[in-house]
Amino acid sequence: MSIEILKASSVTKRFGAMVAVNRVDFTLYEHDVAGIIGSNGAGKTTFFNLLTGLFAPEEGSILHKGVDVTRMTPQQRVARGITRTFQLTSTFDTLSVTDNLVLAYYRAFHKASMWNLFFTKMKRFHDEPKIISILETFDLLPVRDRMVKNLSLGEKRRLEIAMAVLAEPEVLLLDEPLAGLAESEIKGVLAVLRRHIGKQTILIVEHKISHVQDFVQRLMVMHEGRVIAEGGYEECLNHPEVRKSYWQIDDSATENSSNG
Amino acid sequence: MVNAFKWWWGILLAFGMLAAARFFLPLPFVNEVLIFSIYTIGCSFLLGRVGFISFGQPAYLAFGAYGTAFYLFYVGTNPYVGILAGVACGFICASIVGPLFVRLRSDYFALVNLALAVIVFYMMQKVLAEYTKGDNGLWFLTNIASTPVLNLGRSSEFFIFATLVAIAVWGLYKYLDDTIFGACCLATKINEAKLQFLGYSNYKVRLLAFIVANTTTALAGALYAVYLGSVSPEITAAARAADPVVVTILGGVGTLFGPLVGTLAYTALRDVLSKFIGNWELFVGFILVFIMLAGEKGLWGSAAPWLQKLFSRGKAADAMGGERR
Repeated sequence: MSIEILKASSVTKRFGAMVAVNRVDFTLYEHDVAGIIGSNGAGKTTFFNLLTGLFAPEEGSILHKGVDVTRMTPQQRVARGITRTFQLTSTFDTLSVTDNLVLAYYRAFHKASMWNLFFTKMKRFHDEPKIISILETFDLLPVRDRMVKNLSLGEKRRLEIAMAVLAEPEVLLLDEPLAGLAESEIKGVLAVLRRHIGKQTILIVEHKISHVQDFVQRLMVMHEGRVIAEGGYEECLNHPEVRKSYWQIDDSATENSSNG
Repeated sequence: MVNAFKWWWGILLAFGMLAAARFFLPLPFVNEVLIFSIYTIGCSFLLGRVGFISFGQPAYLAFGAYGTAFYLFYVGTNPYVGILAGVACGFICASIVGPLFVRLRSDYFALVNLALAVIVFYMMQKVLAEYTKGDNGLWFLTNIASTPVLNLGRSSEFFIFATLVAIAVWGLYKYLDDTIFGACCLATKINEAKLQFLGYSNYKVRLLAFIVANTTTALAGALYAVYLGSVSPEITAAARAADPVVVTILGGVGTLFGPLVGTLAYTALRDVLSKFIGNWELFVGFILVFIMLAGEKGLWGSAAPWLQKLFSRGKAADAMGGERR
């Protein structure tokens, strides 16, 4: 029986009068590779932010392995093994590629007390096997000493995902990791992520369904803050409400006109 | 040994040049540059590395100066112990106000520090006048005992001591640049959300940076107190609150040698220009506007890439393009 890793129950988030996430229930099981899709403004990123602790929900609860993490800070959730990436590439632009990775590595594998941070040099970890390996995996070795602000968008995306993967989190939450990437880069990123299937639990938010078609095992479709479909890829795509909200195909209207 | 020299050579060269300048520049000028540059490096660290602008540095300068002054006026005569008392006073005060102040956004942080400087000024001038002697200040020059090896009562020997202290301070900040803590400081400035989602505490990083920076400022205050042999509330006057910020921008925000270059330029402008122009600050104001419009790099920030190219014989200076120095 699959173990429940993350469980959101009736989670609601409002911004003023607007209900961004409306009583959403969602469960992520161990080693799941699940996706959340939906049109712009569907509430995907807001729900993602609720799971990772950037926002606190007004109603509902979020459990991590049965422990209530609803009011926990992002830092506490990271310590529990929940790591995320951001929709807009989020790195430390005036640090080098290796230094970005060292920051991710150090927090994941060492006690990051202020004392340790103060008395530990960055250079000590520059040739750490895990860091070298991740640089190779994400094809970042040639740019390892480059300042992140001088990287291309694709390289920055790869770096951000590399930072998340490097920490070997239990749950990897990826917010539109393929946005702005060229087709060849998308294939590259998905190929790397595929290697983590079965080792980590992955939740990916994506705007374009075709990108995650071969990647996710399970989908949740959101529209106007609600979950309108959940299940396998084909199942979700053939769901009448998904067809209507996503592609503006109204099956009932088609049926009526053909009957008429 | 070679690595140690490589690590230190920039600092040793900079302060070696300043030590050489002592033979053709007035000693009070060089001493003031040394103390003022230590005063500025804390402000530069806060602004350049953590992203906090502080208009309250005179308060921390006063904590150090009065800590030393109280010791030398009321308790003992050893100037070294006096300096330690000043540094301890600065450390304690920064540790008390830090947990409250570092929670604030940068703009409110600037204002709350300015408010602290005003509070400290009135505390020293009025509330604690019985102990601080109000506007007259504490005079303890004759209380300072002569000490073996370096007698801080003599300007020429104070200069050697201040140079050694400055080298140690620069060594500390260069070391911080290389540490994970230094990288975290820069990371909290660039992208605090990302640092939080890596699992680090922005609050703790900022608090430690605040305490380190303001203890350094207190050290400058303690040196001022011993050098001048007196301390008055004027040291924490709000009118001079912008001085370290001005010098930081003049030298180059977030650069290791910016505070030293900025202090040299500022003190020289003040001492030279004030002889010819009554309102010399106006001239400094124009220079600052020019620096801002020219890309905010400051004197050292503009010169460093050229020097790096010169010394590395044309190697790509990618690292200098960022804020790590």
